[in-house]
Amino acid sequence: MSAIEFKDVCRTFRRDGKDLLILDRINLTVADKEFVAIVGPSGCGKTTCMRMAAGLEFPSTGTVSVSGKQVIEPGPDRAVVFQQFALFPWKSVHENIDFGLRAKGLPETERQKIIAHYIGLMNLKGYESAFPHQLSGGMQQRVAIARAYALDPEALLMDEPFGALDAQTRVVMQEELVKLARKNPRTVLFITHAVEEAVYLADRVVIMTSRPGKVKEILDIKSVRETENWDQHQKIEDVMDLASFVHLRSRIWKSLREEHAGDH
Amino acid sequence: MFVGSRLSTVLLVLAAMIVLWYVATTITGLVGPARLPQPLEVWQSFVAIATDGYGNGRLHQHVLHSLKLVAMGFTVAVCVGVPLGLWMGHSRRAEALINPTFLLLRPIPPLAWIPLAIVWLGLGDAAKILVIFVAAFVPSVINSYTGVRNIDKPVLEAARMLGIRRFSFVREVLVPGSLPMIFTGLRLSLQASWTTLVAAELIGALYGLGSILNQAAQDIYPAMIMVAMIFVGICGATTTWLLGQVEARAMPWRHERALQ
Amino acid sequence: MSLARPMTDRERFALTCVGTLGFFCVWYLAAFFQFAPAKFLPMPHEVASKLVQLCGQPFAGAILPEHLLASLKRYAMGFGLAAVIGVPLGLLMGRFRWLDRVVSPVFDSLRFIAPVAWVPFAALWFGTGIGGPTLIIFAGAFPPCLINSYRGAKSVEVKYLEAAAMLGIGSYRTITEVLFPAAVPSIIAGLRIGAGLGWMSLVGAELIVANSGMGYMIVKGQSAIATDIVMAGMIAIGAVGVAIDVALRKLEARLLRHRQEN
Repeated sequence: MSAIEFKDVCRTFRRDGKDLLILDRINLTVADKEFVAIVGPSGCGKTTCMRMAAGLEFPSTGTVSVSGKQVIEPGPDRAVVFQQFALFPWKSVHENIDFGLRAKGLPETERQKIIAHYIGLMNLKGYESAFPHQLSGGMQQRVAIARAYALDPEALLMDEPFGALDAQTRVVMQEELVKLARKNPRTVLFITHAVEEAVYLADRVVIMTSRPGKVKEILDIKSVRETENWDQHQKIEDVMDLASFVHLRSRIWKSLREEHAGDH
Repeated sequence: MFVGSRLSTVLLVLAAMIVLWYVATTITGLVGPARLPQPLEVWQSFVAIATDGYGNGRLHQHVLHSLKLVAMGFTVAVCVGVPLGLWMGHSRRAEALINPTFLLLRPIPPLAWIPLAIVWLGLGDAAKILVIFVAAFVPSVINSYTGVRNIDKPVLEAARMLGIRRFSFVREVLVPGSLPMIFTGLRLSLQASWTTLVAAELIGALYGLGSILNQAAQDIYPAMIMVAMIFVGICGATTTWLLGQVEARAMPWRHERALQ
Repeated sequence: MSLARPMTDRERFALTCVGTLGFFCVWYLAAFFQFAPAKFLPMPHEVASKLVQLCGQPFAGAILPEHLLASLKRYAMGFGLAAVIGVPLGLLMGRFRWLDRVVSPVFDSLRFIAPVAWVPFAALWFGTGIGGPTLIIFAGAFPPCLINSYRGAKSVEVKYLEAAAMLGIGSYRTITEVLFPAAVPSIIAGLRIGAGLGWMSLVGAELIVANSGMGYMIVKGQSAIATDIVMAGMIAIGAVGVAIDVALRKLEARLLRHRQEN
């Protein structure tokens, strides 16, 4: 059974008395434990896709379902990592991760074990009692990722999670996310406008057209990654130098460029 | 409140003020005693009201009486106003329902309620508590409302995503998220409470700082007027300071420094 | 709580109507069932007709428009004075550290005294006609005018001041052509707060010391136990307060639009 499924999803916004079509018949399935990245020109509705899977917005027609259930509200089975982190400023790192676990009703000892595990995994040791504003952007996003993973969700939804970080931090976070994703495979829907990021992280990359957003093409990255054995390289720049990576990246670039050309 | 005021300059300026006041009222006689009292007279009046009493009681009785009324009106206003503001901020439907009443009553300055309160409740404490309530209520509601509306939208979405519901949502998301604005509201409420109380007591009261002002004005006793004014200022400053202390304790996360 | 439904405009309108009607219904019902004697709780339409009646029939020595005029005269004096002194002083304090250091202690030691507490001295020094109430309005409106223009001047980005210094612009022109324009939004916010507090202080002053004006009218209504007059006066006071705020908001919109066009 596919984990996330978009079936004939359309979405219109009403603006100045006119209905504006922003998503046009999106059909997309994300398999269980698959990492899918959506790239597309800005304003193409990729973030709206993620928000519909999260239950924060709803399709005008069509359905979005996760694990076979239609999405009707937000919930901890579909954890979101927001671009602006969205940590609770009044809660410490520990409390931020714990908050969702408490809401799920897990017993104290189990919660402590889970929190300790993800604090270790995301290199947050020693910062348990710090408040978010005391941390750098990269550290805050680590907390947000730990918070999402700790929920043990059926799907992880990430909305340009590294978009607000500086270039160096971004690279470190991408490498860590790859390690986490390979060690701890989950169903992930990852929204980004950075092509390298999509190729580096995802099993499949979905390219969208400019507004109204449609699925333009879907590229399989996983097979290339496995035959070319990308994962033997620890550093992102080594992967990015591989001919297979360069090839995929320029394919996506060309595809996106057509969309930009279409704007004019 | 201004940056760059060092203690030494503050003391110097205040000392200069007192010297100026002394020179103007005594040595040069620039300002007549019926207009501005001499520093020594003010001190004597202070001693007189503190030991023998003036109006209907001694200074501490007046101060405690005023404090009691402010505390009661302010507390009731905050306990009703803050939850109402939070509710209106959270629920657009509640806002649409309650806002009309609020918009109709809000423009009337709290001091304009004093005559109505006197007609309804007489010259006793009840009327004063009512007007303090009216004065403190409006800023409590408006700022709590704004506080909720100012919470980052992604933070609210994150709470929904995590499955935070009902009581836990109010206690751990809505309230802490709006706390900075709630305290802004409380400060304004407190200020409005004192202003209204002094006005209500000036119009008619047996006890309280305003009643001293009223009595001293009728007796044409400028030194006592000044003593009462000084204590109005001290009470206002002290209660505001106390509120600031509560604020700092209530929001520890705002005062920790960055780690890196 | 599923498929969260946003509120439609029609629903909002309906709820607003229910809320408005509800307010008047509660009032009518309270008066109808003699929740309080009619003398103390007139019905809304009685208050409205009293409001109209007061415009033709003198109460407390004058008809309502005359009371209003007397109030506005005092208000214009007090608020005008507060703005004319407060705004430039705040700007200068934001610019010159030494002035800040001298004025701040004086200002801070006075600002916690509630404006109405000045009433006895105001009457003693300036009488009960225009001067006394003017001082009280001034005491109410002055602090926000000063504080906001001070903050406005402090928040001007250093690069503008450095650019002015680099261009060799003198102190006076730096204030009028750099500091003041940059601080305008904050100054107007201060004027609006000050206008509200000044209007409230005016009512307070007139309740206690004046012999004309809106506050005087309602306090006379109170001693005559004419609740309808008190309420009509409150409504008029509220309406004028709103009108003042709307005027200032218009001014704000005009000034700020002008900035954006530049």
